[in-house]
Amino acid sequence: MEASLLWLLPAVPALTALTVLAVRSPRRLAVIDLMASLAVFLLALRLGWSVVQHGPVRSGLLGADAVSVVFVLLVGLLVAAVSVYTLGWMPRELAHRGIRESRLRLYYALVHGFVATMLLTVLSDNLGLLWIAMEGTTITSAVLVGFHGHRYGLEAAWKYIIVTTIGISFGLFGTILVYAAAAHAQGGALRALSYQAIAAVASQLDPGIVRIGFIFVLIGYGTKVGLAPMHMWLPDAHSQAPSPVSALLSGALIKCALFGIIRFHTIARGACGPEPSGTLLLAFGLVSVVVATPFILAQRDFKRLLGYHSVEHVGIVALGLGFGGPVGTYAALLHVVNHGVTKALVFFVAGDTISRYRTRNMHAIRGLIGIAPFAGTMLLCGAFSLAGVPPFSIFVSELLVVRAGLGGGHYLAVGVFLLMVAVIFAGLVHHAGAMAFGAAPAGADRSPSRLSPLVGMALLGAVMLLLGVFIPPGLDGLLRRATEIVLG
Amino acid sequence: MSSPLATALIDYLGALLLFTMIVILGSSQLYRTIYAVAAQSAFLAAAAAVLAIATRNLDLWVIAGITIVVKAVLLPWLLIGVVRRIGVKREIEPVVPTLLTLAIAAGTVVLSFQLAASLGAVRQTVTGNALPVGVALTLLGVLVMASRKTALAQMVGLFACENGIFFTAIAVSQGMPLIIEIGVLLDVVLGALVMGIFVLRVRSSVDADIADLSRLRA
Repeated sequence: MEASLLWLLPAVPALTALTVLAVRSPRRLAVIDLMASLAVFLLALRLGWSVVQHGPVRSGLLGADAVSVVFVLLVGLLVAAVSVYTLGWMPRELAHRGIRESRLRLYYALVHGFVATMLLTVLSDNLGLLWIAMEGTTITSAVLVGFHGHRYGLEAAWKYIIVTTIGISFGLFGTILVYAAAAHAQGGALRALSYQAIAAVASQLDPGIVRIGFIFVLIGYGTKVGLAPMHMWLPDAHSQAPSPVSALLSGALIKCALFGIIRFHTIARGACGPEPSGTLLLAFGLVSVVVATPFILAQRDFKRLLGYHSVEHVGIVALGLGFGGPVGTYAALLHVVNHGVTKALVFFVAGDTISRYRTRNMHAIRGLIGIAPFAGTMLLCGAFSLAGVPPFSIFVSELLVVRAGLGGGHYLAVGVFLLMVAVIFAGLVHHAGAMAFGAAPAGADRSPSRLSPLVGMALLGAVMLLLGVFIPPGLDGLLRRATEIVLG
Repeated sequence: MSSPLATALIDYLGALLLFTMIVILGSSQLYRTIYAVAAQSAFLAAAAAVLAIATRNLDLWVIAGITIVVKAVLLPWLLIGVVRRIGVKREIEPVVPTLLTLAIAAGTVVLSFQLAASLGAVRQTVTGNALPVGVALTLLGVLVMASRKTALAQMVGLFACENGIFFTAIAVSQGMPLIIEIGVLLDVVLGALVMGIFVLRVRSSVDADIADLSRLRA
């Protein structure tokens, strides 16, 4: 049963992608989309439960341990929330001719293909399959980024596919180097690419080649994660995609790429000790936080602002991994969940806001709370959470990252990090406050929201608040187990 | 086939791969770079065949066959098809002067060999000089992409970069598992198709090169 879950999880969205190609009615497409996404969410919960109860599962090229379950649950939750949100978002998008009805089935097929490749990425035990699935996410999501078909979307899509494809080619090279090291230490071609088999013999691997391999992987998958200075494509792609897709890109996809880095981090720790990979992650993390800050302050485009925020937050995850130790690693994994949920929520709000004001320019968006009270409130809550204010979830994980940094004696890095967070807080509260309050322009759409986008936002908002107040024992146990696995 | 002979042949083929890369880097004509990358893929397939004989690994024959069909014929044919469809109005305009590009390339090759020489016993798991050649080709592929402004020239760089990765992959003792290699090749083809569609769509809607669009700014 457990082993078949591994195959079912990516198979459900993959089959859905093929099925919807034969469907034309928008209503029927929306129902199939919702059903498939809820099925994915339930299967993810079921897999999570069985891994927590009975330990890791493995079947052929696929496998799941506590680390993968953290990512599978995040993807499952976001996919379900995105489908609920899309129910009400899509009719408005069709009315504004953002997406033509004739291309609707292609849209749903690509979204589900994208979800299938993401799930395959985090469920791969074989590091080669992990790479194949990750490149699959690039191909499916690049078409979605350019889905609107105007020149901005196509420009962003081209930049995205070229930069990340070349980036993860480096990831493949790193994978091959680690494979060569593993093949040297033990026989068997398929075994030498299995993560669990490599991790078990990590201490016998040649440190020299693993170190070079990790550098290639960090730069390669780091491009896909959006770590600075390889992040140039990210604000373009995340801002040009349709809003539900932006939520998946920012909330789930960059986390899947982080999953790849975490796997190789564990192997590198085993082969070369905690120093080399930890120091590199710390450096890239700090650079990402610092580089993102001025762009967040000077931003005018709502969705680009959120894109640069993603650069900042993946930087924070990398910092947590870099500070290392149980606290830092736990904080990094918790931050993956917290940022994923919060960022998807804010992209939901952005989608609603942009279709009301017909602009993405933050100077032209005023008085959201007056015309859409719930979305306006969620905007403020999400912005406060992104800025690291209690009682929202991101505050908890950022605090833990700081604690890990101080515990490890990285005073300078922590100082720079806190300074940047303070500056970003000021900038973000300014941006969000200006959009939420004031008098709405006359042209804004004041019609009441449909129910489903509000349900989607409420779902993620509730998780965001809940994780800020307390961490459920089940999740805490899962994260502790995952931390032990990452630390080897 | 004896192993020293196989190693020598792999090294010769590696030299040919590097030579085609220099042709791609130094050429200013798009057609010439496409033919060069096709030739490079053919040399790669020959390397796979040599290793297949030397190690009696049947999987490598399959890989050699797929490489010839997909990378040496199908992808270049696709590129030429796109070039014909849009009618190339200008040849490659390098962002960096060609002479400087070649100098950087020479430095990259030397550094790659230095890097590989610094590794210990694990070097033996990769046949001959396939490791430094692979590193050099991968990095030079990025150099091609960074120094070109047209979409098709960037795609050529990408294919060349992937050839380097495959060269190292097949030379690792036992080779990569067949199913993984096929999966990677499938991604390469699908990615190339999507890129080709993007290029054609932009050309038909705004009559510009997609890699030349620069409206999105910070």
